Amino acid sequence: MSMKEKDPVSGTDLTGHEWDGIKELDTPVPWAARWALWISIIIAALYWVFYPSFPSVRNYAKGMLGYSSRAEVATALQRADADREMTFAPFASGDIEELAADPTLEARYSASISKLYADNCAACHRNDLKGQVGFPNLVDGHWLWSGSPEEIEATIRYGINGQHDDTRIAQMLAFGADGMIDMQQIKEVTEFVLSLSRRQHDATAAENGRLAFEENCAACHGEDGRGGYEIGAPDLGDESWIYGGDRDAIYHSIHFGRQGVMPAWDGRLSDAQIRMLTLYLLWNSEDAPS
Amino acid sequence: MLNNNTVENVLVLFALAIVLVGGVAILGWGVPLAYVLHGWMIAIFAGWGLIWMIARMNEEVRDIPLEYNDKVTRYGVLAALFWALVGFTVGDILAWQLAFPTLNGDVFWSNFGRLRPVHTSAVIFGFGGNALIATSFYVVQRTSRARMASETLPWMVFWGYNLFMVLAATGYPLGITQSKEYAEPEWYADLLLLVVWVGYLALYLKTLSRRAEPHIYVANWYYLAFIVVIAMLHTVNNLSVPVSIAYPKSYSLFSGTQDAMTQWWYGHNAVGFLLTAGFLGMLYYFLPKAVNRPIYSYRMSIVGFWGITFLYLWAGSHHLHYTALPDWVQYLGMTMSIILLVPSWASVFNGILTINGAWDMVRTDPAVRFMMVAILFYGLSTFEGSFMAIRPVNSLSHYTDWTVGHVHAGALGWVAFITFGALYKLVPWIWKREGVYSLRLEAWHFWLALSGTLIYVGAMWNSGITQSLMWQTYDADGAFLFSFLDSVIAMHPYYVARAIGGLLYLIGACIGAYNIYMTVSGPKKAQAREAGPLVPQPAE
Repeated sequence: MSMKEKDPVSGTDLTGHEWDGIKELDTPVPWAARWALWISIIIAALYWVFYPSFPSVRNYAKGMLGYSSRAEVATALQRADADREMTFAPFASGDIEELAADPTLEARYSASISKLYADNCAACHRNDLKGQVGFPNLVDGHWLWSGSPEEIEATIRYGINGQHDDTRIAQMLAFGADGMIDMQQIKEVTEFVLSLSRRQHDATAAENGRLAFEENCAACHGEDGRGGYEIGAPDLGDESWIYGGDRDAIYHSIHFGRQGVMPAWDGRLSDAQIRMLTLYLLWNSEDAPS
Repeated sequence: MLNNNTVENVLVLFALAIVLVGGVAILGWGVPLAYVLHGWMIAIFAGWGLIWMIARMNEEVRDIPLEYNDKVTRYGVLAALFWALVGFTVGDILAWQLAFPTLNGDVFWSNFGRLRPVHTSAVIFGFGGNALIATSFYVVQRTSRARMASETLPWMVFWGYNLFMVLAATGYPLGITQSKEYAEPEWYADLLLLVVWVGYLALYLKTLSRRAEPHIYVANWYYLAFIVVIAMLHTVNNLSVPVSIAYPKSYSLFSGTQDAMTQWWYGHNAVGFLLTAGFLGMLYYFLPKAVNRPIYSYRMSIVGFWGITFLYLWAGSHHLHYTALPDWVQYLGMTMSIILLVPSWASVFNGILTINGAWDMVRTDPAVRFMMVAILFYGLSTFEGSFMAIRPVNSLSHYTDWTVGHVHAGALGWVAFITFGALYKLVPWIWKREGVYSLRLEAWHFWLALSGTLIYVGAMWNSGITQSLMWQTYDADGAFLFSFLDSVIAMHPYYVARAIGGLLYLIGACIGAYNIYMTVSGPKKAQAREAGPLVPQPAE
């Protein structure tokens, strides 16, 4: 036995090394640590035997279970699709008008469709469906492209001013920025538009704006400003405003135009899901057919 | 000037000249304003370095004093504290932004994507990196009984590294990033760091080779592993092709899955070798010095060191479970992570049991308390890390705040605690003060930091597991029971708690910085002579 220096506190041998006063005990590695290390190595080795592990030059050890993440995901997706097909069978096919007329669906499916709505639509139209500036309110019964089930379905499927070939197109031109009418006229048209919804306005200026409105705006919004479903022109006489109904917002809309975008959900959502969302909007809309 | 190595001086002059040319090229040809400003910074730095070198070479030749060189360590400590305050402040701002998104003020440079790398770089590289450089310089000299092997290189390392940090932190808000997590600086900053790092490695090896001790101490194994592996990671992960000298933009040599794997090989080993190995080096010196006890087991030091060094490098793929990464790479990463637990815990027990015989100091000395709690958090995070690397567990934890909680258990609880513990010891030593200005404030710092960490980590565990369960819960129809939006709303209270925890931590760090400032500006110790025996080195 070597006559090693001992640590007076623990009675353990010191290694004899010393750096700047730091010494080391020669304590052996405790049995528990050694066991734990071997157990963890054995667990790892079992994984290497059963699951894909070490690579060779051209391939890798496949493991005895023949496990594959891709296969597992494919099976899981297939199973989930089959489940969903069964659960949501009513939406898989069939006419949207008929589905809308079926009174049993809402109670059965509304809760799960609300999550579909929240995950896909709520970012713009908000979770309460009431929209926000730039994004229409979906429950007030005022529709741009009509509230018929078919049209709502088409809007969801193809979007507005979107990337899809069949997207709906609705452009409010930049009448001021593109120099079609001058600033004075925009101010007068603004007053006229305010008068359409019976808001506080300057009656003289509004009367002056009528002609410019008829020449520039009526083609889309109609002589009476009530809009039209054919081209998605908003009704200017109601209380529903996408970009705000105050003087500044209306002036801004006329001056710079508006080209709001709704993306097409075709391909991203299944046909059944698009139908489900259509019905969800109908169920929640104030003028929903009951 | 001090008697020094001529070959080395020529090499440093050469390196500075190249950096100067690079800086001038950038400021001359550069187009984006931020990039041109970076060119000016690089050029001014290199020009100033050249002038300093030339002025020193014209001075009368003097002998190098027979004492340790702690001047750079002092600068490093102050730089570490500066970056700590920057990093913690930005981190807490981000935490409040996550709870109340409008707090970004709708300004382009203050959104989460641009500020987040300022936070991560400032705390990991600014605070952690400077603390490691400072302490490694101190430790390698003491445990080798040798002065630093160079009079110029330590300065080049310190200033070059901090220039890199300034380039990084000013570039991100202005949009200069290569979008690689924890490796965001663009090619020119990466090249600068490469030059600096080669200097650091050369300096460290040369100082070790001059040691007057027969063996190399454990702390130096770890510091050296940190320097070597970071050199390797930094070089490989940042391989990229700049589009032009006129723009900061570059394209990575890797794409797709290879890019992801290279990135996480980098990311995981930045954690393994900067945030773990480097700070274990710190622990192995400052803990036994503080408690004045021998290291519990030399053999456990060996098991811990080689286990960590060998296994960490395999484990990066556990960040990419259930992705396009081939299964075999995922399983190798997972299994190596499992084996990694025991060597990690060998270091934990080696640290904790080193306190045996001096446990009263945990009560009386807040610095020891910092270090003791640091080891516990290290043990917690390494257990958690190995656990989260197991694939089914990862399917629960991945992409959730649990990961954020795990990282901060390590970063706040381990890295920063061991650093503050070490700094409270180091500062009086290198500034030759009697002790820290106020033990009371030190204790306040400790308790604020500990409660901040516990609130932070607890909030993120809850938030992470809540998120994951909400995302994975289906109703009988196979439809989601919760929308993603529901999970975001459910996070709000935890995010507020996290921001409060971070605020406590920041307040603690401010108190710590004040305490250290008062220590430094306080009176010197009566007897200022360094006790450690230094051995004369042959003139080179």
